[in-house]
Amino acid sequence: MSELVLLSNGINPVLLIVVPLGLAFALPFLGFLSDRVGKYVPAVAMLFNLVVSVLLIPTALKNPVVVSIGGFPPPLCINLVAGPLGVGLAALIALVGLVVSIYAFDYIKEGARTKYHILYLLLLTGATGTVLTGDIFNLFVFYEILCISSYALVAYLGNRSGIEAAVKYLIQGSVGSGLILIGIAILYGLFGTLNMAQIAQNIDSVSSLSVFIPLVFLITGFGVEAAVFPLNAWLPDAHSSAPSSISAILSGIAIKVGIYAVARVMFTIFGASSMFQFLVLLGLLTLLVGEMSAFKQNNIKRMLAYSSIGQVGLIVFALGMATSDGIAGGLFQIVSHALAKSVLFLAVGYMVYRAGSMEISAMEGIGKKMPVISLAFVIAAFSLVGLPPFAGFSSKFLIVRAALATEETLFVVLIGLALVGTVIEGAYFFRVVQVIFFKGVQEHKNTSAQVKREEAPLTALIPIFVLVILIVVLGIHPDFLMPLLNSAASELLDKVGYIKEVLG
Amino acid sequence: MNLLFNNTYYLACIGLIAIGLYVMLVKKNLIKVIIGLSLFETGINLLFIVIGYIRHGTAPIFSRPGLTAENMVDPTPQALVLTAIVIGVAVLALALSLAVRLNEHYGTLNLRKIRDLKW
Amino acid sequence: MTPGILLIIAFAGALLIYLLGKIASKARDYCAVVVSIVVVGATAVIYGKSLEEILPFKFLGLPLVLRTNMLAWFFAIAIAVVGALSIIFSLSYIKGRERTNLYYLLMLLVNAGMLGIVLSGDLLSFYIFWEIMSWSTFLLISYNRGAALPAGMKYIIMSLAGSAAYLVAVLSIYAKCGTLVISSLGALLGAASPGYIVFILILGFIAFGIKNAVLPFHTWLPDAHSEAPSPFSAVLSGILVRMGMYGFILMFFVIFSVHQFLGLGKGLYSFHHIIAWIGAINIVVATFIAMMQNDSKRLLAWHGVGQGGYMVLGVGLGTALGVNGGIFHIVNHTSYIALLFLVVGAVEYGTGGVRDLNSLGGLARKMPIVFIGALVGACGLIGIPLTNGFVSKWLIYKSLILNGYPLLAFAALIGTWGTILSLYKFVHNIFLGQLPTKYENIKKAPLSMQFPILVYAVIIVVFGILPGIPLRVINMFVSSFGFDSLKINLWGISSETGVLNTINICAVILVVAVIAWLVLRLARRSVSVSQENSYAAGAAIPKDKYHYSVEFFDPLNRMIGPYLKDVIDQFYYWVARRVQVLCDGIRRVYTGDVGNYVAYIVLFLVLLIIAQIWWQPW
Repeated sequence: MSELVLLSNGINPVLLIVVPLGLAFALPFLGFLSDRVGKYVPAVAMLFNLVVSVLLIPTALKNPVVVSIGGFPPPLCINLVAGPLGVGLAALIALVGLVVSIYAFDYIKEGARTKYHILYLLLLTGATGTVLTGDIFNLFVFYEILCISSYALVAYLGNRSGIEAAVKYLIQGSVGSGLILIGIAILYGLFGTLNMAQIAQNIDSVSSLSVFIPLVFLITGFGVEAAVFPLNAWLPDAHSSAPSSISAILSGIAIKVGIYAVARVMFTIFGASSMFQFLVLLGLLTLLVGEMSAFKQNNIKRMLAYSSIGQVGLIVFALGMATSDGIAGGLFQIVSHALAKSVLFLAVGYMVYRAGSMEISAMEGIGKKMPVISLAFVIAAFSLVGLPPFAGFSSKFLIVRAALATEETLFVVLIGLALVGTVIEGAYFFRVVQVIFFKGVQEHKNTSAQVKREEAPLTALIPIFVLVILIVVLGIHPDFLMPLLNSAASELLDKVGYIKEVLG
Repeated sequence: MNLLFNNTYYLACIGLIAIGLYVMLVKKNLIKVIIGLSLFETGINLLFIVIGYIRHGTAPIFSRPGLTAENMVDPTPQALVLTAIVIGVAVLALALSLAVRLNEHYGTLNLRKIRDLKW
Repeated sequence: MTPGILLIIAFAGALLIYLLGKIASKARDYCAVVVSIVVVGATAVIYGKSLEEILPFKFLGLPLVLRTNMLAWFFAIAIAVVGALSIIFSLSYIKGRERTNLYYLLMLLVNAGMLGIVLSGDLLSFYIFWEIMSWSTFLLISYNRGAALPAGMKYIIMSLAGSAAYLVAVLSIYAKCGTLVISSLGALLGAASPGYIVFILILGFIAFGIKNAVLPFHTWLPDAHSEAPSPFSAVLSGILVRMGMYGFILMFFVIFSVHQFLGLGKGLYSFHHIIAWIGAINIVVATFIAMMQNDSKRLLAWHGVGQGGYMVLGVGLGTALGVNGGIFHIVNHTSYIALLFLVVGAVEYGTGGVRDLNSLGGLARKMPIVFIGALVGACGLIGIPLTNGFVSKWLIYKSLILNGYPLLAFAALIGTWGTILSLYKFVHNIFLGQLPTKYENIKKAPLSMQFPILVYAVIIVVFGILPGIPLRVINMFVSSFGFDSLKINLWGISSETGVLNTINICAVILVVAVIAWLVLRLARRSVSVSQENSYAAGAAIPKDKYHYSVEFFDPLNRMIGPYLKDVIDQFYYWVARRVQVLCDGIRRVYTGDVGNYVAYIVLFLVLLIIAQIWWQPW
C-alpha cells in the first residue's frame, strides 16, 4: 500500500491520476450530503495534483519514472512514463485546472452544478492520464474520458448555441476517436503489442504502406482534438458556446493534450522523421487560416477561438522543426498560450456577463466599468501577440531563433509567413483593446460623476491575477522554465532513450 | 504475430465503416447521422475482433486441460473491444440526449437547417 | 550611476507614479515632474562614462547587456529632456481629462523604454525596450478617442511589421555569430559577405524606416502625430521616431563598419547613395505636402517626415561632415518640432481644442510668449542663421557640395523652400492676422506651458550661436565610428574648405539689427492703423473675419497638388482592403454544416494515403 504513495525514487506518479479520479467518483455522494461542498472538490484535487507534479519534476528531470500498474514488467502491463514532458504537462494541467476551478466558484451558479464539477474533474483526469501513460490503448481511454467530458461540458448551459456546438463537436470528435481506434487496431495487428515502447522498438521506417497507414489514421484522429487545419471545424463553435471557464480549459488544455498525442505518436512511436516537414507546413497553414478567420469576427469568444487555432498552428510549426530548440520553443508556446488564453477567456466571461452580449461592439466602455479585468485582458492580449515583457515574447523568440538556426532559406520564408500571421493577430487584438478602453462612451472628465464600477467578484480576480503574474514572470525571466523544457524536448526526440527507459 | 486470415472478414469491417461514414456525410437527419456513428463504431469493433481471430480458434479460457495457447483467439482485442463498446454506448447516449434538446430548441432535426454557428 | 540604476529609476518611477495616482492625484502630477527631472539629472551624471554592464540574469541563455558611451549619452539626454519638458507641459494640458493616471504612466513608460533602447548593449534588450516603447505609444496615441483610433491601429500594425523584420534580422545575426552583444558584433561580422550585409541592412531598413517614417513607410506618421495629445506629439515627433535614426546609426556604423557600409554596391547604385536619395525624396515630397495641410498638427507631422529626410540624407552620405550634420540635425529637429507641437498644444488649451489653421488667427497679442516660441521654432526649422537648424543644414549642404551631389543639394534646398512656405503659413494663420471675436477671451497659457516653450527656444538660440557644445560630443562618437575628426571650436567648425563661425554671423546680424533699429528710431514716427481700417468700397465691414487666410498658397497648391497625393497611403489602404476581403473569404471554410466537417476529416485522411501511394514523399 505504501507503494501506492511513495516509490523508491519519490512520489508515485499514479497518484496524479488516482486522486482526482477517486474524488470525481466521490463527488456525487458529497453532493448528496451538501450542495455547496461540490465546488471545492476540483480545487482540492487540482491543488494536490499541482503539488505532486511540482515535487516530481526534479526526479523526472534525472530519469523518467516508470510505474507498472499491476506489478507485471513493462511490455505485459500498462505502464506510466512520467518523464519531464509528462510531468511538466501534468503540472500545467493542474495549474490551469486549479485556477479555473477557483474561478468557477462564483461563475457557475445555475444548472446542475455538481454534475459540472464531476465532469470538470473527469476532464482534467483524462488530460493528466493522457500525458502520463505509456500504453497506446490507455492513451485512447484517457483521451476518450477527456473528450466525452468536454462534449457534455460544452452543452452545459443548455442554450441553443451550446447544444448545437456540442452536437457538432460530438460527431466530429467521435469520428476522430473512431479513426484512432482503427489506427490502434492496425498497429496491434502488425505488432501484437500495445506498449508504446515496444511498438517503437519494432518500427524502423515509415515508408512501407502498412506502417504508414496506421500513422495517418492516428494523426488524423488525434489531430481532430489538436485542431489542425481541416480537422478543427468544431473548435470555433465549441469554444464560443461553452461557458467561459470551460472555454478556458478547452483552449488551454484539451487542445494541448491533442497536440501532445500527435507529437508522441509521430516522434516516439513512429519516429517519422520524413513527415516533419509536412507537420511544419500543416502548422503554417493552420496558423494562417486561424489568424485570417479571426480577423473579421464580431463575436469576441469566436474571435478568441480562432486565435487558438492560429496559436495551435504555431505550436505545431515549432514542433515540426524537430530540433531541440524548436521543440522547446513549441513547448514554451504551449505554456504561454495556455496561460494567456485562459486569462482572456476568464476575463471575457465576466465582460460578456456585464455587457450582456458577446459582440465586440458591446464591449465599449467596459474598461471604465471593470478596470482590473480589462487590464488583465490587455496584458494577456499583448502576451499572445508576442510583445515583451510578457511570456508570449519568450516563446515566439525561441521559435524564431530555432527556425533561423536551421540556416535553411525555406525556414526563413516560412517564419516570415508565420510573422505575417502575428501581425494580423496584432491587428484584431489591438482593435479589441481600443474598443474596451477608448471607444464609445464619451470622455468622462475626472471631476464629473464617475461611471459606476461593477467589477468582477474576488474569486474571479484572484485566479486571473495569479495567471497574469505568471505571464509577466515568464516574460521577464523565462530561464527558470528552460531546463524542464529542454529535457522534455530531448525526451521527445530521443526515441532510443525512451525505449531503454521503459523496457530496460 | 502469425495470422492466417480470411479477407472477407476485413472487407466486411471496412464496408461497415464506410457505410457509417457515408451516412454521417450525406444524411440530413440528426438521428440518421447518429445511427451512422453507431454503424461506424460497430465496424471498428468488428475490425478489432477480426484482427484477433484465428481460424478454428477457441475461446481464450483454459476451461479444460489440454488446451494450448496457440489454439485460442487473441484475448487482448476482445478486452479492447469491450472498452470500446462501453465508450461507444456512452457517446451514443450523450448524442441522443443532445439530439432531444436540440429538437426542443430548433424544432427540427434537419442538420442543414441547424446552422446558427457558422463562419 | 550605471545605466542599470538609471533604468530602474525610470521604470520604477513610472509604476510608482501610477500607484500614487490611485491614492492622490494632485501629488501624482508633481511627483511625475520630479521623477522626470531626476531622470534628467541621472542621465546627465553618466556623461563621459563608457561602461558596459551585464545584467545578472540571462534571457533564454542570452546575456542582457547595458552600456553607455557617447552615442548613447547623446540620445539619452535628449530623451530625458524632451520627456521632462513634455510632462511639465502636461501639468495643465491634461488636467481634468479622463484616465490621467494611465496617461502619466504611459508617458513615463515611453520615456523609460526609449532610455532602455539607447542604453542597451545587446540587440535583444534593444528589442525588448523597443517593443515596450511601441505598445505604450499605441495606447497613448489612442488616448484621444475618435479619429485617434484608426491612427493608432495604423501605427501599431506598421510597428509590428517592422518589429517582425527586426526580429528576423537579429536572429539571423545570432545564428551566424552566436552572440548579440553589440560590442562583439563588429569584429564577428567583419568578414560577412556583401549579400548577407545587404539582406540584414534591408531588413533593418524596413524595421527602422517604419519607425523613422522614411518613405515609403511614413504613412502612419501624419495620422498618429496629429491625433495624439500634444505633449505626447512633441515626444513622438521629437525623439521617438528618431529611435529609428539611432537604429540606422547602430546598423550602419557600429554593427557593420563604415567601410562595409560604404562599400556596398558601386557608384550610383551603391547602397548608401540609394539611402541618400531616399532621404532627398523624403525632404522634397514631405515639405511640400506639409505646405498643403490645413490642420496645424498635420502640417508639423509632415515636417517630421521631411526633416527626417535630412537626417537620412546626412547619414547616408557617409562623410564626416555629412554624418555630423545628420546627427546634429536629429537633436536640432527635436528642439524645434517639440517646441512647435507644444505651441499647438498651448493654442489648443486656450481655444478649447482648435487645430484648424483656417479658423485661427491673431493670437499673438493674447499669447505673446507662445508666439515668440513659435517664431523661434519656425526660424529653427527653416534654418535661419543664429539657430541650430542653420548649422546642421550648413554641414549637410557643405558635404553634399564637396562630394559632388548637385541634384541632392538641389533637393535639400527645395526642401528648405517648402519649409519656409509652410511655416510661414503656420505662424501667420495662428498668430498673425485678425483675432476672431470668439477667441477674445481665451485662457492664457499658464507658466507650466510657457516654461518648456522658453527652454526649447533658448536651446535653439544657444545651440545656434555656440554650436560647438553639442558638436563636440557628436564629433567624439562619429570619429569613433571611423570617420575623420572635424575641427570643432565653440563657435563653429573649421575645415580646409571654409569656416563656419557663428559668432561672426551673430555679430553681423547684431550690427545689422542695431543699424535697422537706429534707422527706425530716427525716422518719423509711424502712424498706427487699426486692422479694420481697410478700404471696402463702401460695403459694410463684417465683424468677425475680415482678413482671411484661408487657401493660403492656393495657386501653388493647385499646381503641385495633383502630383503630391499620398499614393503610398492609398496603396496601403488598398492592400488592407484586399486582405480583409481575403480573410472574409477564408473563414467561409467553416460552413456550419457538420456533414462538411466530417467530409474534411475523411478527405484529409484519404488525401494523405493517396499521396503516399502515388508519390511516396514520405
